[in-house]
Amino acid sequence: MAEMNTSESGAKKGHKKARSKKMSTRVDLTAMVDLGFLLITFFMLATTFNKPKTMEVNKPAKDDDKKVEEPPIKMSKTLTLMLGNNDKVYWYVSPDEIDANTQLTMDSVDYSSTGLRKVVTTRQNEVQAQWGKKDDLFVMIKPLPTSKLKNTVDVLDEMTINGVTRYAILEPTDPIDSLVALRIGQPRK
Amino acid sequence: MPKVKVPRKSTAIDMTAMCDVAFLLLTFFILTTKFRPSELAPIDIPNSTAQIPIPDKDIMMFQIAPDGKLFFGLDDQPTRLKLLDRLSSQYQLALSDKQKDAFRTLESWGMDIRQLPAFLEMDPNERAHFQHPGLKIDTTGGEAQIEDLILFSRQENNNLRIAIKGDKSTQYKSFDKLIQALQNRKVNKFNIITSARLAKE
Repeated sequence: MAEMNTSESGAKKGHKKARSKKMSTRVDLTAMVDLGFLLITFFMLATTFNKPKTMEVNKPAKDDDKKVEEPPIKMSKTLTLMLGNNDKVYWYVSPDEIDANTQLTMDSVDYSSTGLRKVVTTRQNEVQAQWGKKDDLFVMIKPLPTSKLKNTVDVLDEMTINGVTRYAILEPTDPIDSLVALRIGQPRK
Repeated sequence: MPKVKVPRKSTAIDMTAMCDVAFLLLTFFILTTKFRPSELAPIDIPNSTAQIPIPDKDIMMFQIAPDGKLFFGLDDQPTRLKLLDRLSSQYQLALSDKQKDAFRTLESWGMDIRQLPAFLEMDPNERAHFQHPGLKIDTTGGEAQIEDLILFSRQENNNLRIAIKGDKSTQYKSFDKLIQALQNRKVNKFNIITSARLAKE
């Protein structure tokens, strides 16, 4: 194929000239195929396994954007989670009315399934017992400035896992929040 | 009875077709692969059970390093150019064509917008090793640079979606600053990039 016959072409047959050998045009492609498939494997693995996922977050619109005043949520339907800086969640349930005899229970848990998840499911059951509907639970997530991004993601995840449909990331501006922040000795702002 | 003679067949197979297929697939995979964009800072993304895959195009990406530095990136080159035009008229940057071209190929960056011309003037090698100081976060009510970036990019490309890629250990306050900027521009919906994990039992 790639050879040219430079001599005066084999016109004279009987002549004792060195006749060019007829070479086969076939090349062994096995090695090339091997290489091709090796690279395919590499690119396939490199593409599909590294696709990151995303988590959608909706923040409540800022107050001055609100056109319609929404009725406030009953505090007995809520659960407040404050995210601290040491992978701890501080939770409390605020009563509807605060008076002199009000006792506030506050506790800290971790992000494990026996910690935060238990708190959320317990609270879901409480709300169901009181209001008849599990979905009425409203979770207020209030990350403190020194908490990690991982913590926020974990809590949002926990909401999905437990099927909590109503939750929001809020700023810790409530008076009780400042009390809690003071108690655990972490800055609120 | 005469013996049946089994004809000897060659063991060599014609590999041409197989080779063709292999290289066709190879080409396909090479062209579709998106290489990991160069990272300005190592970012270890958090895990979540979220299953929504990240969209392929029209992304405005904010990266937050563990120390709170903020980086910005657009995936679309024409939009990058339009954004740069808007920025240069807003901040009175005089940019040459060479600098604009350098910006077009810039995956992500993080610095005061006024430093951009000097950065784009560097030669490519120097630019690759430049330590980005992070976007300028407005705290005193002066220039709202991040807000401008968000506004201009969204005006140039309406379909832009906002993705935030933050490190696991980024403090919430740096994350919050970015969200404040987004909310100032009436963006209340965004995506946090996470890697998949299974829900723990």
